[in-house]
This record gives sequence, structure tokens and C-alpha cells, in this order.
Amino acid sequence: MYRIWQIFDPRRTLVALFAFLFVLALLIHFILLSTARYNWLAGPAVGAAVPAQIAPLPPTVTQ
Amino acid sequence: MADPKQSLSGLSEDEAKEFHGIFVSSFLAFTAVAVVAHILVWMWRPWL
Repeated sequence: MYRIWQIFDPRRTLVALFAFLFVLALLIHFILLSTARYNWLAGPAVGAAVPAQIAPLPPTVTQ
Repeated sequence: MADPKQSLSGLSEDEAKEFHGIFVSSFLAFTAVAVVAHILVWMWRPWL
């Protein structure tokens, strides 16, 4: 298996691998930030507030 | 003309072995960090 480095130049391979992993990590993190459930900066507050805002009024208020 | 014994990347067999050892250990370390991160996220909010 180590013979792969006699075919592919390690320097170019590392640069390509790091670039790919960085872009992939950036993509995944932004996708997660765009969701309500997995946004670790503002997600839980917004996600939890929405059901409370659309909840029906209690019966005592509607009399 | 290139030496027929020379590899495409220019690495000798020993150099390729040495680099491969570093590469594999680095890959395992990266994978371990990723596994720990996934375990923590699963404990926070499981996705299945």
C-alpha cells in the first residue's frame, strides 16, 4: 500500500487532501448552521419559541 | 532520460514507507477526533 506514494506526489496529494477536507468541513458546518435543530449559535431558542408562539390560548382567556 | 528505477513521484521505497507511516498515523488521529466529535453531537442531539 505504501507504494502509492511512489505514484502520487505526497506534497500535491497532501495539499489536495487538506483543501478538500477544509472545503468539506466548511460546507458541513454551514449546512448545520442553516438548520434550526443543529444551529449551535441561535438554533434552540428560535426552534423552541416557534411552537409556543403558535400554541392555542388557554380556555380561561377565551371566555 | 529518467532513471528506469525512479518512481513517478521520485520517492524511493524507504521514503514511501516513511511517509506512509506518518500518513496512516495522522489519518487515524484525525478519525479518532472525528469519532469523538460525532459521539458528542449524538449525545447533544441524535439525528436518527
